[in-house]
Amino acid sequence: MSAPSHKRCVQALNEGLHEVFAERDDVYLLGEDVLDPYGGAFKVTQGLSDAFPDRVLTTPISEGGLFGVAAGMSLRGLRPILEIMFGDFIALGLDQVVNGISKFREMYDDQVTVPLVVRTPMGGRRGYGPTHSQSLEKLLLGIPNICVVAASECHDLGGLLANAVDDDRPVFFIENKLMYGRPNRRPEEGHIGELAVRETGTRYPALTFSGTDFTEASATIVTYGGMVPIVLDAVTELILERELFCEVVALSQLLPMELEPVFESVARTGALVTVEEGTLTGGFGAEITARVQEEAWSDLRRPVQRVAARDGIIPSARPLEDAMLPSAGDVVEAVVALEAVRS
Amino acid sequence: MLEIVLTREDANTEFALLAEWLVEDRAEVAQGQPVCVVETTKATVEIESPGAGSLVQLYDDGIEVELGKTIAVVAESADELETAIARREPRSAAESKPTDSKATKKAIELAERHGIDLASIEKRGFITEKDVEAAIAKAAATAGPSTQPALAGISTAGVSLPESLDLDEDAGRLDEGFFESLRTDPEAFRALSSDEKIERYRENGAQIGEGVAFGLRTILVAPRIVVSPGVAIGPDGTVVCEELVAIGELTQFGPDLDLRCRRAYIGAGVWAGRSIRIGGGGHRDPWATLAVGDLAFIGDEAFINVCRPVLIGREAFVTMRSMIVTHNIGHSLLEGFENRFAPVVLEDRAQLGLGAVLYAGVRIGAEAIVASNSYVVGDVPARAFAIGVPAKVTGSAAHTLSRSRQAELARRMVDELHELLALRGHDVSAVSDGDGRGFDVEGTRVYFTPSYGGGGDSPAVVLTLERAGDVPDGVGVLDLLGRQVHGSGGIVLDSVREFCRKRGIRFEPGPWRYQGGLI
Repeated sequence: MSAPSHKRCVQALNEGLHEVFAERDDVYLLGEDVLDPYGGAFKVTQGLSDAFPDRVLTTPISEGGLFGVAAGMSLRGLRPILEIMFGDFIALGLDQVVNGISKFREMYDDQVTVPLVVRTPMGGRRGYGPTHSQSLEKLLLGIPNICVVAASECHDLGGLLANAVDDDRPVFFIENKLMYGRPNRRPEEGHIGELAVRETGTRYPALTFSGTDFTEASATIVTYGGMVPIVLDAVTELILERELFCEVVALSQLLPMELEPVFESVARTGALVTVEEGTLTGGFGAEITARVQEEAWSDLRRPVQRVAARDGIIPSARPLEDAMLPSAGDVVEAVVALEAVRS
Repeated sequence: MLEIVLTREDANTEFALLAEWLVEDRAEVAQGQPVCVVETTKATVEIESPGAGSLVQLYDDGIEVELGKTIAVVAESADELETAIARREPRSAAESKPTDSKATKKAIELAERHGIDLASIEKRGFITEKDVEAAIAKAAATAGPSTQPALAGISTAGVSLPESLDLDEDAGRLDEGFFESLRTDPEAFRALSSDEKIERYRENGAQIGEGVAFGLRTILVAPRIVVSPGVAIGPDGTVVCEELVAIGELTQFGPDLDLRCRRAYIGAGVWAGRSIRIGGGGHRDPWATLAVGDLAFIGDEAFINVCRPVLIGREAFVTMRSMIVTHNIGHSLLEGFENRFAPVVLEDRAQLGLGAVLYAGVRIGAEAIVASNSYVVGDVPARAFAIGVPAKVTGSAAHTLSRSRQAELARRMVDELHELLALRGHDVSAVSDGDGRGFDVEGTRVYFTPSYGGGGDSPAVVLTLERAGDVPDGVGVLDLLGRQVHGSGGIVLDSVREFCRKRGIRFEPGPWRYQGGLI
């Protein structure tokens, strides 16, 4: 058996869960088909119910009920983790979040907290069709008093998950379907591959990548989650084919929005491209664009470019799905278009 | 040999994760023994060996494998084992060679041209053109003067040079006595007709193509003369080169040319106006090389000093009265005054505005623009816009247009062409939007369509952003973005081409200018 040089992301998350369960006994996991030997649709919970049989609960197919039960558990002092099998299904539980979970703490004058974690995979490119492939993070960005975390394959996934469990706020912990099988590539000596990497010391860190050791670059690309490896591919292509260098900021905390690393990078580059896998209108990129022009207008030399999915539904046929979702080629095009804009 | 194939368990999935090998590579396995664990989104399955033998893993675990692929084979003999091992794809990650540094395309090209070994450049991260340039400078510093006198080791990145740089050493070499007579008694030769001059040149070893025309009193004096077909040099021209003059097909010089340097390599389809002065101080120096790329433009009364190489890229513009100098004149360098001799490079499609001056040593990047009357003392990056005295980069030379904007501009060109033809007194029909925006002139339909799918009534001239189909006889198609002309047409096609040229759109094949005809 050959030893892989990195852990796969699914292993990193699985080990993170095992560690959290071993460390604290108020943590529970609720979800559909999460018991061994099946271990969850994407195998993130594998081995957990064998090791902690009393604290891993398999539930009926009823996401609304699942959110409600978890809200009750957390109001009574437990720390439940929900696994929602596909991110598309969070819509079934959103009433609990919008009218309850996100509001209880203020409605009851800080006498209660709702420290639950909702783990769910988002993203397409597997041919799962219109209702199992979406990236719905932007629906969550409009809900005050929750925290939305979307880790990438370059983040410390187990550590991030443990931080989410420790968080007293309700946390959506967004995973990505393609990420699970890929290696969890962490920085070594400040580098991932050829790119230099800086990581913020925050609870949910942002990573900033540079091909020039942060000396010069023609644009900042801000993105998260499953788009991170695609953007890194695009950035490498831009460097190798055109000697165009971009900095990449991979956020893991989407809400509340903390954009210091983006402002810092834009101060160096003067240009911004936002990249997300969700649909374009009213999304992550739109919100960041508004905030960057507010905070860093004098640094911007060019109009902000947004790369996102087309505003439509995701087809089942893989070639059509690829045409709908943003690709590395789309990112390259956006950066090249920026280069040609008269400042 | 038995194959272990990843079979399809679920119609939705194209890939499965090869989660874990349960046996070592090349281990002995028994029939029915579980050898690996495979995960799809809906199931985890153990795969069993189809027989007994040595198992050879074709993939590492921890990666996604396309369904239908063979992931391992079971070899039943020593021979089979060898064949099986040969089938294995190169091991990824740890076993492949470390990739601490990657070189960019520009860096690889530059390194190849200068014989630099990229492995000799020590750097974490990406190796760029700049790193290779530093390595070249370092190599030059230790190796002494360049062995390429023609270009003196200048980077030709971004400059497409004329083919004549690769001519044989003896191409177009004149008889020594004839050359001597040109030098000592030019006036007698100037007095000959164009055909007589061409005949004398050919008899004495020069290469002169068909359809060449030398104007009244024009003379070329050089030990080697190579003039390609269709070249025209206007009256009162004087070309004096110490080693060689080579001029590419269809290139045209206006009247009163004065070209003096050691080696002149002029590309094909170049258009040069009247009273152009090339030479000046030091034009006999060993480094006095002029190279002008294909389809370049040199405007009236331009002045190019050549005592160090001057490289002008393909489709570059040196417009009217602009100046390029490769050295300065002044007081003693021992008194601290600047004394400079340095080459000048104008990369492909770069543009010098009217009266702009380039000082010795500058390099204007590809597609950059230097505004009129600017004085350039430092390099201008590719695609930048530079203006002022001294010139500063203030923006980009161009911006990207959307497809719909391109189509809109092309439709407006049709309207302008229609107006021009009407004002010129030609009988033109009204503009209509039938199969494309256009009109009839001289019995020919002229129209724009965003995408030309082939066919159509003839005769016609079609302007398009994309040619997707075959062009029938009597139809000329101008691909506005690819800048290619397809098919054929008479005076109308030539007129539309010339009209497009005045909007910066030149087509190949063909010379810089066309017969205007109707316009």
